[in-house]
Amino acid sequence: MIERVVAELQRILADKGEPHGPITADSRLLDGDLPIDSLDLATLVVALEEQTGREPFKAGFRLFATVGELATLFDEAA
Amino acid sequence: MSLPAWLHPDFTLTDDLGTATAADLIAAGTRLADALPLWGRAGLAATGARAILTALLAAEARRTDLFLIRDATTGAEIGYRIEGEAVIDVAPDAPDGTGLVWLQTSGSTGRPKWVPHPPEALRGRIGPGRGPARWLLSYAAGGFAGLQVILSAAIGGHYLLGPPDHAGIGDLAALAVRHRITHLSGTPTFWRAFLMALGTQTLALETVTLGGEATDQALLDLLRAKFPQARLRHLYATTELGTVFSVADGRAGFPAAWLDGNLAITEHETLAVRRDGTLHDTGDRVALIDDRVLFRGRLDAMVNIGGVKIWPEEVETHLLQLPFLSDALVTTKPNPITGSILLADLVLADPDTQALCEPRVKAHLALLPRAARPAMIRYRTALPTGQTGKKLRMP
Repeated sequence: MIERVVAELQRILADKGEPHGPITADSRLLDGDLPIDSLDLATLVVALEEQTGREPFKAGFRLFATVGELATLFDEAA
Repeated sequence: MSLPAWLHPDFTLTDDLGTATAADLIAAGTRLADALPLWGRAGLAATGARAILTALLAAEARRTDLFLIRDATTGAEIGYRIEGEAVIDVAPDAPDGTGLVWLQTSGSTGRPKWVPHPPEALRGRIGPGRGPARWLLSYAAGGFAGLQVILSAAIGGHYLLGPPDHAGIGDLAALAVRHRITHLSGTPTFWRAFLMALGTQTLALETVTLGGEATDQALLDLLRAKFPQARLRHLYATTELGTVFSVADGRAGFPAAWLDGNLAITEHETLAVRRDGTLHDTGDRVALIDDRVLFRGRLDAMVNIGGVKIWPEEVETHLLQLPFLSDALVTTKPNPITGSILLADLVLADPDTQALCEPRVKAHLALLPRAARPAMIRYRTALPTGQTGKKLRMP
């Protein structure tokens, strides 16, 4: 799942034309590691939901900070 | 110019230009008022907390109209326009200057509508405030919500931190911690991102305010856990009626006991608000569940994406300006980060040209405000249609 999150993030960042460093499980999503905002993150979640058919946020928002934590939420939603 | 009654002498503003006291702002406002031409019809246009306060003071002194630019792409600037000589070409043709403050509403098309407000009305709902509050401005400075934060701090004699242009959510979280912010107001979308960016850093917020879109219980619970001491409240407001009520019990929606005639549920299950003797249908769908009234989206097609009101059909119309598209359908999908997100299904007149058309679709969508751009674009050979032949809008 981590590979999938990373690939989707790379696609979003390539679309924006934003330079960025390597993306790992520990990369923090919204506090400076990556040049993305809430709308990019929403795009990422929609793309992952579409690809996996899983909806980890069906019951409401859950807190996550890193790429790895988001991947875990999708893994657990199996 | 003397101190206007509403500006508290203890007010302090900090931004990337430094710190300004109430006296500094009065001096700047006086210089600006003196620089305005004495003839004809003048208007001021301003963006950024410092420029907006300076322009409010100057406009009040000269009774000129003030135009606040919501989403500025340049730094804090003030310009003025004189009849027949358009210095600021964004401002509408206002009637003779009566000291109105004009605000831009946000929307799908990127062509904002100007709405005039008497300055007393903008200050009308703001109380004197309590204690030495330290505010961080999370909204666009020139929007209605941003102006309410700026005026709350100015009237209360508080500290206001105006973040630099294009500050990301990580920057805002770092600024809040460094400047020991105590009062913060934002959309639910802002708060979800802010909590994520804040991580394990501690911040002793005293007041947490949510507005601009409906909030969910999960977010309220996370905020309560992160800021156990804070006064937590969410506001319900509409463009036409302004702020209608504020809910402070930490639960989503509002108490059913408030349905007293001034608030009512209409026959098509929307919320109606009585104002000046007339019942106004807000178009916001509600459901009565036990002792609570909960928000359930819109009766019309409008969707709230991170606090910005978007009409999917307008985005569709914009897309269909592209001659190589034979059809387009824009739908909405619930999203945990921004409330909702747009999806676009496109049909190309010639499916073999997809590689050529994709960058042109992207460039065309880039003309729209960020929130109005679909998060996902799917190319189809045909659109799903219902039995009536109408495009199926609901996902």
